[in-house]
Amino acid sequence: MENLQGFFRGPLFRLSFALMILGLMRILFLTVFEAFRAYIKAGDKQLPWKDIILRTINWFLPFNRLFRRKPLYSVISFIFHIGLILTPLFLFAHIQLWRGSLGIGWPALPRSLADILTLTAIFSAAALLIGRTLDKTARVLSRKQDFIWPAVILIPFITGYLCSNTGLGAKTYQYVMLIHIFSAEVIFIMIPFTKIAHCILFPLSILVSNLGWKFPADAGERTAVSLKKEGLPV
Amino acid sequence: MIEPVSIEKLQRAYKPTKKPELMAEQNLWVRYNVEHPLTKDRPRKFLEAFAAILKHYPSYRLALEHYIRVSAKCSRCTVQCQIFQATGDTEDIPCKRSELLLNVYRRHFTPGGMIRGRIFGDAGLTDETIQKMSDTFWNCTACRRCSNECPMGIDHGLIAHLTRYILSEIDIAPRALVVSTREQLEGKTQNTSAIPLPALLDTLEFLEEEMESDKGRAIKFPLEVENCEFVFFPAVSDFLMEADTLMGNAAVFAATGDSWTIGKRYYDGINYGLFYSDRMWARIVKRVDAETRRLKGGKIVIGECGHASRAAKYGLPMFCGGENALPVINCMEYAWEMLEKGRLQLDANVITEGVTYHDPCNIARQGWIVDKPREILRSFCRNYIEMTPNRRDNICCGGGGGTVSIDEVRPYRTLVSGAAKAEQLRRTGAKYVVAPCANCKKQLREVVEDNGLDCEVVGLHDLIYKAIIFE
Repeated sequence: MENLQGFFRGPLFRLSFALMILGLMRILFLTVFEAFRAYIKAGDKQLPWKDIILRTINWFLPFNRLFRRKPLYSVISFIFHIGLILTPLFLFAHIQLWRGSLGIGWPALPRSLADILTLTAIFSAAALLIGRTLDKTARVLSRKQDFIWPAVILIPFITGYLCSNTGLGAKTYQYVMLIHIFSAEVIFIMIPFTKIAHCILFPLSILVSNLGWKFPADAGERTAVSLKKEGLPV
Repeated sequence: MIEPVSIEKLQRAYKPTKKPELMAEQNLWVRYNVEHPLTKDRPRKFLEAFAAILKHYPSYRLALEHYIRVSAKCSRCTVQCQIFQATGDTEDIPCKRSELLLNVYRRHFTPGGMIRGRIFGDAGLTDETIQKMSDTFWNCTACRRCSNECPMGIDHGLIAHLTRYILSEIDIAPRALVVSTREQLEGKTQNTSAIPLPALLDTLEFLEEEMESDKGRAIKFPLEVENCEFVFFPAVSDFLMEADTLMGNAAVFAATGDSWTIGKRYYDGINYGLFYSDRMWARIVKRVDAETRRLKGGKIVIGECGHASRAAKYGLPMFCGGENALPVINCMEYAWEMLEKGRLQLDANVITEGVTYHDPCNIARQGWIVDKPREILRSFCRNYIEMTPNRRDNICCGGGGGTVSIDEVRPYRTLVSGAAKAEQLRRTGAKYVVAPCANCKKQLREVVEDNGLDCEVVGLHDLIYKAIIFE
């Protein structure tokens, strides 16, 4: 058991974390590369940079647009993201882990605040899952991963909360902690291959959508040649 | 948010206008007319066209790769889509519609999708999906309002644009658009309304006489004048249907004294390529470029037409020389500038009725022309009423994306896609609805008629014409 936990905390943690970082770097690199390629080939290279930056920032500031439509859903999802991002990074116990494996550390959140953030993440993830199930439009749109994600995210948060806030017996504690660590590692590995890729691609979205409309000057003729429609009537 | 339209209206809107035998023969169940759609082996041909387009348009690959990665299926677009709100049909959710194409991309153009397809024996794109895309992507008015609301920044308008382009390469596109484009590029008259030059000259002569009797002075439509500062391209249908707008354009130029001209060889600003085919978009824009260069004109002025303005403004630099492309402006930008400089004077006592302004999607969505027309209207209309939502968040007239030119879907346009606009117009209570776009004007007049509204749809230059003061 001790060995298993040591393995989970040590090599497996480093491996899954490295896979996540590599995976995210890969899609970031691919996106930047594709964007660069599209830009180089574009017939028109003017882009509304100011508008792109403002619109991108706007999505980080919830009161500008996010909360205006579907307010309940939007507020919950925003709160969810706060807990989701802050707790794993700034919990005291996690920073110890970072120190152990990466050799770097940073100040931790106060324990009580970390607990509150954990609970908001748990309740908002549950609310998002319920909302997705009950709301007809969201349900119709949803793929498997859209239901699985909020459920999977609940696991490390609930187990983490149990470990730090309830007097679990030593044995139970070890099992719960094992689930906690393992589920987080599964999540790390899944991130680059699923919609959570938006954690790194999100700031590029408005730029990509603007670049999407910038075609090469001769793309039409070249497409016609490829399709053997050159010179054919309309 | 608007209420869903009644079942009775939906039935009227979706009533088939085509013979079932024809649809069976064409193997295509869509409400718009199609000339000669491909009937056999469609999935393969669709994928071939898709592959060719991806090869030559890196921007599409960039966008699709990004969208399949980040799409979170949050359903926020449902609160923006006027079609979905009118029908309540989940197939009309922008994100669901886009998923049709994204699925094809995932399955056939990503390594993961191809491997999964092999493992799970997924046959991939089917005829049913093509059928569904042909139908649903032409229900969309390509207004791009949903793209403002997507937290992941997905532009569903771009996906609709691309899907229609691919479909057009397997000959599935509304006949109305294809036939007009054919006449414009290959026909005798070189314009979408098939107006022969002699008829155009007659019309312009008649309008000049009309202006002389209205305003008591000679106002010309200068033809074939070289070295002018501005070469003017209205939506050609304006010559038939929007005489007042054109007279307003001519009057503004007459008041400022700037040199302008209309070419005799090519005089159409319309560009249906923007609605169904990037290939055509480029070919048509090149005509505008060539005519302006032939006349040694300085700038291209597009008349009151949203899609024509967007097609030229973004198409000229894209397809005709990048930074060296001829500058493109919309006639409202010109009028605004002249008003600012004091070279255009308008009488504030002429228009006393309530006036409201409808933003055409193609010039407002990206924030290009939103405040200038309002400033013009406020300067001389005493009773200006703003409709909400407006500017970049405006509601589409319901005939966007070329659907207004498809006459056979009129009940759909006026009762379903135009339902939100009808309600918005009713709430303003304005007498004049200013819609500076040939497509919006046609659509809104039909919306007004079919929904029993009491207002008059006009162009911005129609009102300018009424109020203009000559020194």
